Amino acid sequence: MPIRIVTTHLEFEGQVEEVRVVLEGEEPPAWGPDTPFQVVGKPTARVDARERVTGAAEYSYDVQLPGMLTAAGLRSPHPHARISRLDASSALAVPGVRAVYSHLNAGDFINPSSGKPVFGNELLYHGDLVALVVAETPEQAREATRAIDVAYEPLPFVTAPDAALAANAPMVNTAVPSNTISDEYPQVYQRGDVEAALAQAEVTIETRMETPAALHNSLETHGGAASWDGSRLTVWSSTQGVFGARQQAAAALGLPMTAVQVITQYMGGGFGSKLGVHRSGLLAAYASRQLGLPVKYMLDRTEENLDAGNRPPSVQAYRLGAAKDGTLAALDLAVIHNVGANGLWSSPVALPAKELYQCANVRTTDRAARTNLGTLAAFRAPGVVEGIAGLEVAIDALATELGMDSLELRRKNFAERYQLLDRPYARKMLLDCYRIGAERIGWETRDAEERRYPGGRSGHLRRGIGMASQLWGGDGGPPAQAIAKLLPDGTAVIITGTQDIGTGTRTVLAQIAAEELGYPLERVRVELGETAHGVFSPMSGGSMTLASVGPAVRMAAVEARKELTEVIGQLAEAPADALDIRNATVFNRETGAEMGGVSTYLEQLGGHEITAKGMRGPNAEDVTVRTFGAQFAEVEVDIGTGAVRVVRIVAVHDCGRIINPLTYSSQIEGGIIQGLGFALTEQRIVDERLGMVMNPNLGDYKAPTIRDIPQIDIVLLNEPNVVANTLGVLGAGEPPIIPTPGAIANAVGHALGKTVTRLPLTPDRVLDMLSTTTERS
Amino acid sequence: MRPFEHLTVQAADEAIQALAGGDGGNTRLIAGGTDLLPLLKDGLVNPGRLIDIKPARALRHLTFDADGSLRIGALTTLAEIERSSQLAERLPLLRQSVVDAATPQLRAMATVGGNLLQRSRCWYFRGPFDCWLKGGTVCYMRDGENKYAAIFDQGPCRSAHPSDLAPALVALDATVSISGPAGSRTTPVAEFLAPPTNDERVEYRLRPDEMVTEIRIPAEAIAGHGVYLKAMDRRAWAFALVGAAAQVTILDGKVARARLVFSAVANVPWRATAAEALLVGQTLTPDLAAQAADAAIAGASPLAHNGYKVPLARELARRAILAAANLWTETN
Ligand SMILES: Cc1cc2nc3c(=O)[nH]c(=O)nc-3n(C[C@H](O)[C@H](O)[C@H](O)COP(=O)(O)OP(=O)(O)OC[C@H]3O[C@@H](n4cnc5c(N)ncnc54)[C@H](O)[C@@H]3O)c2cc1C
Repeated sequence: MPIRIVTTHLEFEGQVEEVRVVLEGEEPPAWGPDTPFQVVGKPTARVDARERVTGAAEYSYDVQLPGMLTAAGLRSPHPHARISRLDASSALAVPGVRAVYSHLNAGDFINPSSGKPVFGNELLYHGDLVALVVAETPEQAREATRAIDVAYEPLPFVTAPDAALAANAPMVNTAVPSNTISDEYPQVYQRGDVEAALAQAEVTIETRMETPAALHNSLETHGGAASWDGSRLTVWSSTQGVFGARQQAAAALGLPMTAVQVITQYMGGGFGSKLGVHRSGLLAAYASRQLGLPVKYMLDRTEENLDAGNRPPSVQAYRLGAAKDGTLAALDLAVIHNVGANGLWSSPVALPAKELYQCANVRTTDRAARTNLGTLAAFRAPGVVEGIAGLEVAIDALATELGMDSLELRRKNFAERYQLLDRPYARKMLLDCYRIGAERIGWETRDAEERRYPGGRSGHLRRGIGMASQLWGGDGGPPAQAIAKLLPDGTAVIITGTQDIGTGTRTVLAQIAAEELGYPLERVRVELGETAHGVFSPMSGGSMTLASVGPAVRMAAVEARKELTEVIGQLAEAPADALDIRNATVFNRETGAEMGGVSTYLEQLGGHEITAKGMRGPNAEDVTVRTFGAQFAEVEVDIGTGAVRVVRIVAVHDCGRIINPLTYSSQIEGGIIQGLGFALTEQRIVDERLGMVMNPNLGDYKAPTIRDIPQIDIVLLNEPNVVANTLGVLGAGEPPIIPTPGAIANAVGHALGKTVTRLPLTPDRVLDMLSTTTERS
Repeated sequence: MRPFEHLTVQAADEAIQALAGGDGGNTRLIAGGTDLLPLLKDGLVNPGRLIDIKPARALRHLTFDADGSLRIGALTTLAEIERSSQLAERLPLLRQSVVDAATPQLRAMATVGGNLLQRSRCWYFRGPFDCWLKGGTVCYMRDGENKYAAIFDQGPCRSAHPSDLAPALVALDATVSISGPAGSRTTPVAEFLAPPTNDERVEYRLRPDEMVTEIRIPAEAIAGHGVYLKAMDRRAWAFALVGAAAQVTILDGKVARARLVFSAVANVPWRATAAEALLVGQTLTPDLAAQAADAAIAGASPLAHNGYKVPLARELARRAILAAANLWTETN
């Protein structure tokens, strides 16, 4: 097949990068709107559902190898301190303990992602790693961490971002001379003249939104198990990217990439916080090499919630100017990010302000502070969840100020084109999402007396309806490869280097392959989550898995089927293009005659397996591909207790073609539930005086429970986006969480006649809102 | 978790013998273990010996006696209270107090005795802080992250009592039967639970060689009607922000007996006697309930982040009083 090297563009969470990829052969033409399907588009239970629900599925957490040791971390009980003494002798005397690592004996072990030692003697936040104990059992290891004798010299600390950026602030890290990320900050984006436009605007408003630090709380914590075979390393890593994890592990252990194998068969959630092998995976590998036995280090829940990243807190200040008819004239946004002790980037909180609404005069200013708190990590639509909440609440406040319906105001300021590069969107179905969602939720009766006051005006219940828009990339891109093998027994194996992080990747890839091969789904096995095959796929992040890997799988299946009909044609002495394969059975398209199962032919090939490659082609240039959507929330607020109950959420998202309505719906539901937690219950709580995290556990850090979950109405638009890729799919991982907090905040605002300024809306906050007097009509 | 010795007993007297053999405090009883195990894992208690009392079946029962009083064995689980149709009918307050406590899995293990003896959920107590309740000198709650703290000041500690069951028991004038080497004694739940003091930094009064065997509720308390209302910051699996237990007896149109007890506003269940006094002898009306609710929160001294508990307690009190008299509706 002809080889081409092409340059294309890839968008990942708000950043566009240029990538060079090698492509072999040609992708098949895109599936059109009228392509008939047997498997694709049908609600399909997960191919590994049985393993998952019976516990047979082996997660990294479950890996148990002969002789395997377990590690546990000792964590800093200070926000900033120097280790002045560390004596591990009592810990080493605990039965079963094999080793204790710290800066004293492992100070030269470097984490390649930061370039810094894994163990330092300056601890930068509550939960920073002090030492690691390796023992025969998890209980021994945990107990021995308490026996390590450490003296800490407390250092001045700072946890609030504005304090961290103030003159004379204590240094977060005495080795780094500034608390900002780099001299690229403050980052300013500008178009037009905001100040002039604000000065001239007929109507102006100011709003503020403070969002909390949210913890991912993946059910499976970070970590991995490592085992050495001579100089070859295998890591079972709980990761969203086996190839990235391999690169990191090879660099840290000083190995060639080919000497490292990373395996992730089943994964218990990552949400962006597991893009690599994590410090814990590296430590398992390090300790395993030192001790000559397999070592597993999975964080416990406290370690996880202190040291596995967070959606960082944001403070957003908006100034909007508009004409009386609602035309947006100016939009100014200032964001302060709190990126934690080692943060090297800030999230695209300002992305919605730059892009969502048509506006000639926009300025966004991002300031970023490092503080003595755990470092940020990507978290499902980083920044954009927070930014949409801030912007959409501001738009509602503007609508109130204008006396206009807020949905009408949004329609009025609809952005036809992608304003940052002044080019078209491949497709923008946002107005359809508005229309359908409004209809479903009953937007036009949202102010009706009987709807707003379910117990009458003298009662204690208030209902409100609010909405928020969603935008996101999610078109994926190359490089992503797949191999299809047709085995003599009439089954097929699809090999890719992606991983199923819980979204159902195995299932949708099997559906795509089954469709193109003409095989029943049960005859297709998908192999993934292993670097050893060498079939590269990107990390599962940025909602790009299906849109990147799916087309590669499809191409591999198409190519394999071509070879298959070629072979059968020769064996059966029939023209290949007259052959049809359905249900793994061969038919003559012209005569309609059934010619037997595929295996009757494949078995004649002396063990030969048909093998074909597929790869994701380049992205379209000169066009911006986006998913758009909207969610509408109805809430009920008890004004006596401050309790907010979400009654119903309607979710309308354009995620292109839906390969599997079941796995699609579970993504939408999961996103909404996680967004509901962000809106109502979840927040890391820090004692600012002590610099300590108060709730690094699942009891006090309150994720929503089944009882908190409302009725969720999911509208399947199912419109293929043929510009995006040959499947017409767009990512659905991040879109559903994006509008939920904003929609809920606006619904609560509507119920109470007030503007929400802080999330989450816990009962104490709602009661405080009710006791303040600033009403809005 | 430190290694410890574990033994099992079949009856209360065996347990008491075993406790007597232990060296004051080094031996602990374990019932459902739902509070003790987390405390062990966090190193907050470090007993050398655990005595498992779960096999003592005689301590697991719900018995209405002929005189109309109720006895509840110390090992009765919260789930058994929840599932009892007799309680649902005759003592709805008690049943309601447990239905939103913890989670179904925990209620299946959690016992009544253990519930009364559960330790503070204050995060300075549970976390890596040398707080007063653990023997330190400072209550970090006072000037710290105190949104869950007590609003009534009862001494050096500001932690809020977590139990949902305990305020219901106080509202029902329940007593605790306690056995020890010197025999048995009975004490009102309202006294058994007491604010920690300098010398006794726990929320209950029980000697290390004693055990709880039974809870008794007198017939005259059962004759009334009551409810338990719990405010939470999510809809399940959360300790009360504030809970309100009300039990009211109405005779000839007038309140004959009234109890109003809060959870999570003080170190121990907080009985609002001033509110009760306003109700007794009166015809219960929405206005009277509101007045009583105001009286119930008089004297509260909230901290920086728990001021919301004051209006919340007032509102729950108002609703609970009305609901106890079947006067609460959506439109109130
Ligand atoms: C996540 C979580 C959420 C919770 N939520 C709630 C809630 O919402 N509302 C609520 O009310 N409670 C709640 N609880 C507390 C729970 O109800 C108690 O942990 C439980 O009732 C304790 O009973 P147990 O049998 O498990 O006690 P154990 O853990 O076995 O014992 C607790 C203590 O009591 C002692 N003890 C036990 N039985 C006796 C006895 N008969 N005599 C003398 N000493 C005894 C033990 O020695 C120990 O010191 C929650 C607990 C958890 C873990």
